[in-house]
Amino acid sequence: MVKVEELRLHAAKLLEEGKVKGIIGYRRGTAGLYAEPCVIDRPVDAAALIWDPGCVSNLALYLVKDRKAQAASKTPDKRPLAVVAKGCDSRAVAVLLQENYFKRDEVVVLGVSCEGTGVIDQRKLAARLKGRSASKVEFDGADSFRVTIGKTESVVPATEIMADRCLECRAASPALHDTLYGEPVETRAYAQPFAAAKAAEAASEEERWAQWEHHFDRCLRCYACRSVCPMCYCPECVVDSTSIVITPETSAEEKASRVRWCERSAGSGESAMYHLTRAMHLAGRCVDCGECERVCPVNIPLRLLNTKLEMEAFEMFEYQAGDDITQASLLSSFRDEDPNAFVR
Amino acid sequence: MLNPTKAVAALDTDFEPKIVAFLCKWCSSAGSDLAGVSRLQYPANAVPIQVMCSGSVSPMYILSAFKKGADGVLVSGCHPGDCHYMKGNFYARRRLYLVQKLLGFIGLEKERFRMSWVSAAEGVKYAQVVDDFVRDIKVLGPQRRLKARR
Amino acid sequence: MSSKRTGVFVCHCGTNIAATVDVKTVAAELGKDPGVIVARDYVYMCSDPGQNAVIKAVKENQLDSVVISCCSPNLHEKTFREAAAQGGLNGFQCEIANIREQCAWVHRDRGQATDKAVRISRSAVRRAQGNIALDPIGVPVTRRVLIIGGGIAGIQAALDLANAGLEVILVEKQPTIGGHMLQLSETFPTLDCAQCILSPKMVEVSKHPKITLMTQSEVESVSGFVGNFKAKIKTKAVYVDPELCKICDDCANVCPVAVPNQYDLGLTNRRAIHIPFAQAIPATYTLDDSACLGLNPVVCGKCADVCEAKAINYDARPTVKEVEIGAIVVATGFDLYAKENLGEYGAGRYADVLDGLQFERLCSASGATGGHVLRPSDHKEPKEVVFIQCAGSRDPETHCAYCSKICCMYTAKHASLYKHHVPDGQAYVFYIDIRSGGKGYEEFVQRTMENDGVVYLRGRVSKVYERNGKIVVLGVDTLTGRNVEIDADMVVLAEAMEPSTGTAEMAKVLKIGRDKDGWLAEAHPKLKPVESVTAGIFLAGTAQGPKDIPETVTQASAAASKVIALLSKDQLEHAPTVARVRKALCTGCEMCVDACPYEAIDLIDGKAVVNEVLCEGCGTCSGTCVRAAIDVKNVTQVQIHDMISAVMGV
Repeated sequence: MVKVEELRLHAAKLLEEGKVKGIIGYRRGTAGLYAEPCVIDRPVDAAALIWDPGCVSNLALYLVKDRKAQAASKTPDKRPLAVVAKGCDSRAVAVLLQENYFKRDEVVVLGVSCEGTGVIDQRKLAARLKGRSASKVEFDGADSFRVTIGKTESVVPATEIMADRCLECRAASPALHDTLYGEPVETRAYAQPFAAAKAAEAASEEERWAQWEHHFDRCLRCYACRSVCPMCYCPECVVDSTSIVITPETSAEEKASRVRWCERSAGSGESAMYHLTRAMHLAGRCVDCGECERVCPVNIPLRLLNTKLEMEAFEMFEYQAGDDITQASLLSSFRDEDPNAFVR
Repeated sequence: MLNPTKAVAALDTDFEPKIVAFLCKWCSSAGSDLAGVSRLQYPANAVPIQVMCSGSVSPMYILSAFKKGADGVLVSGCHPGDCHYMKGNFYARRRLYLVQKLLGFIGLEKERFRMSWVSAAEGVKYAQVVDDFVRDIKVLGPQRRLKARR
Repeated sequence: MSSKRTGVFVCHCGTNIAATVDVKTVAAELGKDPGVIVARDYVYMCSDPGQNAVIKAVKENQLDSVVISCCSPNLHEKTFREAAAQGGLNGFQCEIANIREQCAWVHRDRGQATDKAVRISRSAVRRAQGNIALDPIGVPVTRRVLIIGGGIAGIQAALDLANAGLEVILVEKQPTIGGHMLQLSETFPTLDCAQCILSPKMVEVSKHPKITLMTQSEVESVSGFVGNFKAKIKTKAVYVDPELCKICDDCANVCPVAVPNQYDLGLTNRRAIHIPFAQAIPATYTLDDSACLGLNPVVCGKCADVCEAKAINYDARPTVKEVEIGAIVVATGFDLYAKENLGEYGAGRYADVLDGLQFERLCSASGATGGHVLRPSDHKEPKEVVFIQCAGSRDPETHCAYCSKICCMYTAKHASLYKHHVPDGQAYVFYIDIRSGGKGYEEFVQRTMENDGVVYLRGRVSKVYERNGKIVVLGVDTLTGRNVEIDADMVVLAEAMEPSTGTAEMAKVLKIGRDKDGWLAEAHPKLKPVESVTAGIFLAGTAQGPKDIPETVTQASAAASKVIALLSKDQLEHAPTVARVRKALCTGCEMCVDACPYEAIDLIDGKAVVNEVLCEGCGTCSGTCVRAAIDVKNVTQVQIHDMISAVMGV
């Protein structure tokens, strides 16, 4: 059980001692039960920090945002940042460190254990509550959550309202941490890893295409998935022909010759290219925090694309994103035993 | 809401597939040249784009070719261990394995993206690879799933 | 779209292209493309008038880029780049569209071939329109050459290079140079004594001030690139100091160990401490530690005891030397296809069924039998000897598909020598064809048939087996149509030549290619017979394919001349189509650094930086980078994107 008070005290202490310039954590939100990410920079504000099953966001994203802000600033503040991190989030931080996005001593990881149940999926809970609304949800051991509706507290089996990604989680404990709160639960007894991807694979080729044509067609190209992903930190996204990094060194030739890999229009073919490219660019880097799927306004099951490739990486190449800060990336390494039979 | 597409395996005898073939300069393109020197005959549907190494083939090239309406995409490089640049084809093999898996996952017909190892001495093999590919694509019919609609 | 002014020139190549591809249509179609100012066709673009037409068009139309639609760039890319340069353009503004080997020669349907030629040409235009002017990168060279293999090819190349003033390191894995030629008795067609013509060259090598001879050595690894290679050479433990050894033979006389002598192909024994040949260079005895009792003076130590020159040191260790060289000549030679592979000819079970090299040792005065042709089994003189040509060659189904080139000639020589040694003996030669193309070769074979009375039977031998002390040969004479059975005293097999053991390994170390039969691959079968596919590495001798001694010497000198040309300049020109980083997009993730096969990229101040001298332009970095922050000059992702559009007609 995570003692939130300890987390708050430690956060305040870090700020008092000037060890960090801010703490990225969770506080009570306004979007139902989901917590809101926040950055605390005064010790007194540490009291606002919370930790409950509504803390679904991947806070590693805010490390990236801070880095970008500093890079654009004329007076950058390079002091370390602390971040509250679940298992998935800590792996995201590990990937960012592996890719030299910042140095190890620039981030302080406050690991929190999600008790073996992970976080909730608000929609699943709403379906269960049938119109009523819950005011609070709390951790309740390894198998259930405590949900408060009105004045009544009830115990709900975790598997019924856990986020899908938590059901498949392979590394619930924040392996990368400077401090760890709660007892880490390494593995869950729930669904098989990659269960959703495997179920999707079982459908026929026609069925699969029917689904994905439907999804690509509905995509608005709002890029919310990209915006919320900590790994999508590229200064210029290769599929977005309008975002271009212009520096004093950018030549006229470069400006004129941007590759238009896909058009801005939200046509099915163009959107397919965007999603497939993003999936390839995340291969070996996605930690399945599930945020992309959560924020998609048209409910595209984006996790499927990424977990499919992570499954291949794990099963065929023995590679897991965020496992080891010193490992080479998935696509800049190879083994002699890599699959060859598919090549004529 | 759109109706899901039904797969149409049209054995349309007028259908001439358009295939984009990325050939590495040192092995596969040389193998293709040897097929030419040997006057081997094969279908004209595969238009070659010479790249320096199969390792330089970005997944974007393949996706872009399909988006532009390619019915098939071939990437061909040196045999593992024989890469002119020592290791490029090993990276290609891993990367394009994932591309193939991803395309299959979303329901693009599995046979449309193909990879081959063709050495500079394998003119016969190159002709065979193209021949087989064209035949297989003709069975599948025109590629409509990833082609951008204008 | 593009502000470039491109000229497109479509070659008929006589009828090679024009017979299938409608070249005028190709030119007309390309003429409609944006940025194509001029589009013409001509019968032979590579000819003088053809090239001049390009130069003229460039000047008259202020073209800044040209595309030549013609044969494979392997043939004339250089030609046309130079023509473009004469027109005032940077050579890299010229691109080749291969519409011959990859189009006209492989398709029949005129419509389809023409359509494909248009797409290929258009794709080349888009590439050309994205090219920037580039100048070769100057790289200093090391004026030293490494020669791998000390047979006649390596020796000849070493002498040619050393006499041209270059430093030479000659590496040989045996204790002596000389290779297989040193094992021969006489050489065709003149029947010169092999040692007599080879020894002077071997001695010259050992005495030449520019040649460093490293025997009992092998090349372990090679890194770098043309003009700037680094090699690690491992030398076995040398127990006998060549400087001190007086070749007195005292050591061999007391050595208790006898093992088969590999230089005599197992026909005799030698001691653990031995000299390979009397004419060995370096002229020294050598201790074979795999046969020696253990280098332990407690166990044995007899040789060191009797050595007056104190040349023997049991504590010697292998050494590794790192050298810097500018070019490498690979002359690793051949071995014979093992008799054990030929089950129908006894699979190596019969002592009196020999291969060609063994027969040479019998004929050789310094060989197993003092120059007398005697049966290995009982040392009796054979009166009936059968020579079987094509043993393992010309047999695509079971053995080697190729012809080993020299067997017809050396079999005639063997039969002839046998008759000189045993005038009352009878020699038979079973053959399929007689290949005797060199100077004096045909006459030599005719003399063997007519003057020496050797019976030539046109047919194959189906089986060889032992019966009552004789070797029975079952064959056929197709010219008379009759089966032939010979009770022979000795059979000599003209075994196929194959690449020497270690060739495959060496090719991997050097990263050069091998052909389908395992011979080292030349860059072009007709026009570049002594260059490997890798710049700076040259081939000489039988390592590249079966050949006789005159051809080997020729090739060795040719390889030497290529090396001399390569190292004649102060600087080499390194291809400038190298990778370049767009720093604004690079986030320093190091994926390219990890992927680069040449370790040519470093992370400096958080951004990738390319070492242009090490970069070979493979583009692996570009295929790996998820941000398109690194690209190869003139093979950029933008260009490939436009080429895909051109191919797809959008």
